[in-house]
Amino acid sequence: MKKLLLAALLAVSSQAVFAHTLWVMPSHFVLSGDDTWISVDISAANMTFVPDKGVSPDNLSIVFPDGSRHKFAQSYQGKRKSQADHQLVAEGTYLIENGGAPRYFTMFEVNGERKRIMADKQAAASQLPAGATKVTTSRGQSKALAVVTVKAPNRTAITPSGEGFEVNFVTHPADYVAEDEIQWQLLIDGKPAAGVKVELSREAELYRNNAGRVTVETDAEGKLQFTPEHAGRYLLEAGYQANTKTELADAERASLTLTFEVGLP
Amino acid sequence: MKRISISLVSAALFAFSPLQATEAEITLQIPEIETAQYYRPYVAVWVENAEQQSVKLIALWRKEPDWLKDIRRFWRKIGRSEPALVDAMTGATRTPGKHRLTWDGKDDQGNALAAGRYTLYVEASREQGGRSLQKIDFQLDGTPYLLIAAAAEELDELLFIIK
Repeated sequence: MKKLLLAALLAVSSQAVFAHTLWVMPSHFVLSGDDTWISVDISAANMTFVPDKGVSPDNLSIVFPDGSRHKFAQSYQGKRKSQADHQLVAEGTYLIENGGAPRYFTMFEVNGERKRIMADKQAAASQLPAGATKVTTSRGQSKALAVVTVKAPNRTAITPSGEGFEVNFVTHPADYVAEDEIQWQLLIDGKPAAGVKVELSREAELYRNNAGRVTVETDAEGKLQFTPEHAGRYLLEAGYQANTKTELADAERASLTLTFEVGLP
Repeated sequence: MKRISISLVSAALFAFSPLQATEAEITLQIPEIETAQYYRPYVAVWVENAEQQSVKLIALWRKEPDWLKDIRRFWRKIGRSEPALVDAMTGATRTPGKHRLTWDGKDDQGNALAAGRYTLYVEASREQGGRSLQKIDFQLDGTPYLLIAAAAEELDELLFIIK
């Protein structure tokens, strides 16, 4: 079983995600047809790709190969998983993202009770009740990602924006193949996120006694390498925590997951 | 993952001939498969250089674009980024049996390939069936060869003759 990801829990506070890992699972990662469709499952679960809680599809979006961001054409919230569909008319690489922009929350204690308001440090100053102690503001972000490519891959949708906790896809996701090395770089506000522990898991854990999860740590450049032994679908989970003081927060708590497919050689 | 087992047999067939006129013959075999619903496989035949980049698409037998991605390696190496070449090389799917192809040793642009190490790939993918990838490494240096790749699920024994 997996450890509780505090960052995920706090950042998605409006959704009851509990201690689960949020992921998205597209029906396809590689497509060759014209005017084709994609269906995306989203769920929060302990076991990789075994749906447990159907989370709200309200924060689900898709970035087109030209960089424009869109809501899904149709979606449905289920008990175990939620689903959304969209037509993929353009050729190129799409980014599917469940989660929003970074959000601020301030924790404090009043009369011995821990409380929280959704406000940054400056906004919280006027909202905190009298006698509030142990005040800390964090910037939190939690998102689940997947990348889908129709015909020729491009990089517009997957180029890091420089804001928040992000993945720089050094190896293009359409090129992940068993026995070939995959390289990623993790970034925080566009700068390398060094020393971040990353967990990698593969589908069908339910049918293996040993799940075979792998933990890797990013190097000084924020980079990590992974050579998958098997073709299949994998989940990358990364959490970033730091006491980074800014005008708006005292700490940073971010997490992300990336669902990816490894093809046959 | 199960590796595709390949056995290579090489034998000098003829005396040395100059490189400028490569003549190669590929005999691929689509097996007879007894099944309730048989669809002809999608097949791609191509040559990659030592950097694993495709230099020549020799044949492509297929129907709808939706399933082109299932010829996995072909799609990654050629199909997804070379639509014009794909259209130019597209042929109808073939029935089970022996199919003979010829190749003049030239690349997609019609230039003779430089001497060196190359790999011939034959990939077949069948709807409601499996996918097989046959691979033959060869040296293009004017020496004649007969090379063989072992039979796989969706492809019987493959013969590659460089004359």
